[in-house]
Amino acid sequence: MKEFQYTITDPVGIHARPAGLLKAEVKKFASSVQVFKGDASCEAAKTLKLMGLGIVKGDTITVRIEGEDEEACAEAIEAFFKANF
Amino acid sequence: MALDYRKCAEEIYSHLGGKDNIASAAHCATRLRLAIVDNSKIDKKALENVEGVKGLFDSNGQLQLIIGTGTVNKVYDEFLAVSGLTAATKDDVKAAAAAAMPWWKRILKTPGDIFVPILPAIVASGLMMGLVEALGKASPAFASTDWYGFLDTVANTAFAFLPVIVAVSAARVFGGNLFLGAVIGLLMIHTNFLNAWNVGNVDAINSFFGVTDGVIPRWHLVGNLLTVQRVGYQGHVIPVMIAVWLMSKLEKWLHKHVPEMIDLFVTPLTTVLVTAFITLTIVGPIFSQLETWVLAGAKLLITVGFGIGSFIMGAIYPATVVMGLHHMYNVIEAGMIAETGKNIWMPIASAANFAQFGACLAVAIKAKSQRTKAVALPSSLSASLGITEPAIFGINFRFMKPFVCGMIGGAFGAWFGAVSKIGATTYGVTGIPGLLAIDNIPIYCIMLLIASGIAFVLTWFVWKEDPDDIPKAAPADAEADAIEAEAVEADVTDTAGIPVIMRAGTSTVLAPVKGRIIARDMIPDESFAAGILGDGVGIEPEEEFVIAPFDGEISSVAESRHAIGIDSPDGMELLIHVGVDTVSMNGEGFTPLIKEGDKVKAGQKILKFSRETIKAAGHPDVVVVLMTNSDDLDDFTVGE
Repeated sequence: MKEFQYTITDPVGIHARPAGLLKAEVKKFASSVQVFKGDASCEAAKTLKLMGLGIVKGDTITVRIEGEDEEACAEAIEAFFKANF
Repeated sequence: MALDYRKCAEEIYSHLGGKDNIASAAHCATRLRLAIVDNSKIDKKALENVEGVKGLFDSNGQLQLIIGTGTVNKVYDEFLAVSGLTAATKDDVKAAAAAAMPWWKRILKTPGDIFVPILPAIVASGLMMGLVEALGKASPAFASTDWYGFLDTVANTAFAFLPVIVAVSAARVFGGNLFLGAVIGLLMIHTNFLNAWNVGNVDAINSFFGVTDGVIPRWHLVGNLLTVQRVGYQGHVIPVMIAVWLMSKLEKWLHKHVPEMIDLFVTPLTTVLVTAFITLTIVGPIFSQLETWVLAGAKLLITVGFGIGSFIMGAIYPATVVMGLHHMYNVIEAGMIAETGKNIWMPIASAANFAQFGACLAVAIKAKSQRTKAVALPSSLSASLGITEPAIFGINFRFMKPFVCGMIGGAFGAWFGAVSKIGATTYGVTGIPGLLAIDNIPIYCIMLLIASGIAFVLTWFVWKEDPDDIPKAAPADAEADAIEAEAVEADVTDTAGIPVIMRAGTSTVLAPVKGRIIARDMIPDESFAAGILGDGVGIEPEEEFVIAPFDGEISSVAESRHAIGIDSPDGMELLIHVGVDTVSMNGEGFTPLIKEGDKVKAGQKILKFSRETIKAAGHPDVVVVLMTNSDDLDDFTVGE
């Protein structure tokens, strides 16, 4: 299991379009990616659920990656967050 | 007071009859969904009284406990911990529920599953064929016109090639390749085989094969051990389903075991060849042998006195139709006409068919589900004209009880026809068109009334609609009662006339906003247009409110209020995103009328927005409607 934390810098947070891109990114890997905001969590590939977490600028989220290709996946997802959120 | 999740989960678990009784567990936004192995082991009363459980219902073998938004996931986590189960997806729960059905129920359910999708084809054809052929019998002059030839050809296409349609649908149900399924279906009615309807016709056999002895030649594939009688499977349903089932199993097995490099040619080739061989040398002969026995049995039966034989025949006739063992009956009819000029078989067949009409009509009138009604009505009309396949496969056999009621009605009708000694002067017609062929019209009418009347009344009282088929109103109401806190506002527009923009299986998505619908790739935003968030459409709005496109539950409302996610009970996850780049408007101009976790009904207003504000902010106001899980849905299509 791999985990990293990230604080959102994008002024509009995780909204529809980047959430969709994130799903596409996650689907490239076999690992499951879970996003935590406080107590609430959901799978990163569940676009609607992810948007439902209401992640906005300044929120610190935890991303947990679990699966056979978690190393590569964690690296790619972290890079993705930095680039998009 | 906050709910003690652990206690709630422990109490729920204690009333479920142990871990072995829980096939799987999942949750949606408000409900804990459990697939239960044996329902009799659970204590529903006690479950309802558990603190935190707001309601309970049982559908499709799934036990659903209403717990509430924000709470259910916590109870679920505790439940997993308490029970030691692992998390399942909603699909797993559904699959486990299906597997919990007894094997015979699953087998009986299969023909229905296969037939329902093809009903549009055969209902239309059945009705048209019945009408055209009745007109042809009524007016021989019409029967010789070009129009008759044209209409008759169009009408009977679906029936002449029924095995192909059945094969494709079966391939879909069994998870095989649709095109390989089509090949198997086509093979079974290949033009190199004698048409199954001509099996009893010596002239047809002689001219078709160029023989003189009226014997259908065989291919000797393995000496005399495995031979293929060169007869097609026209009008057959069950052998086709068996063949395609075999094909699908084989195909899946091969896909797993054949190395990928050669999979593309080895798997289809082997699949088709082996399926064809087994079907034609083993499945086919079994059915042909059964058919011969049915014929001999039928011949013997109708000689039994006092109409008893006819009574039995009238009862089992539709069963032989289901099995596809009815092709040789016209041999009996032709023989009778040649010997005595009087066809006493036709009243039996007519009573049996007309009883299926009566049973189907009862379903048509009694059903509350518009879908069931829409199929049952034309199917029953077609059955009254003697084309019973849509009624039997589409309705009666699928629900089973109407089918049995029809058998009973058919038995009494056939008995009455036999003791009244009526007969037909020709063969090939039953039901209402049979009036033209019968020698005693009043008695024939009474017979039809007896058959259909008994079937109708019995069906009316015996058959009860599956609550799952009764649309929306009832279960949704119960649910709404259970979750009083989540009561929905009654601001619902009439959904009639709102266009459907997407479909997933039998579910539909209505246009959530009035306006011109544009293709997804025309949406003025790269990632929406590319389908990154799923497949769907854009709508150029003419009005300023969004309605719920189906009955469901609000899964998310964006912080900036411009986008709403909505889930349907059967797994659709739809995103409605008003405008492009409107996230940057921070909610200005958008007024959601619902909140996360709310239940909504199709047509209910869920969001108001201002086109002017969007325009002023410099964004396109296209409403983007995307199915975010379109990849995971079965039979998902965009369009009407």
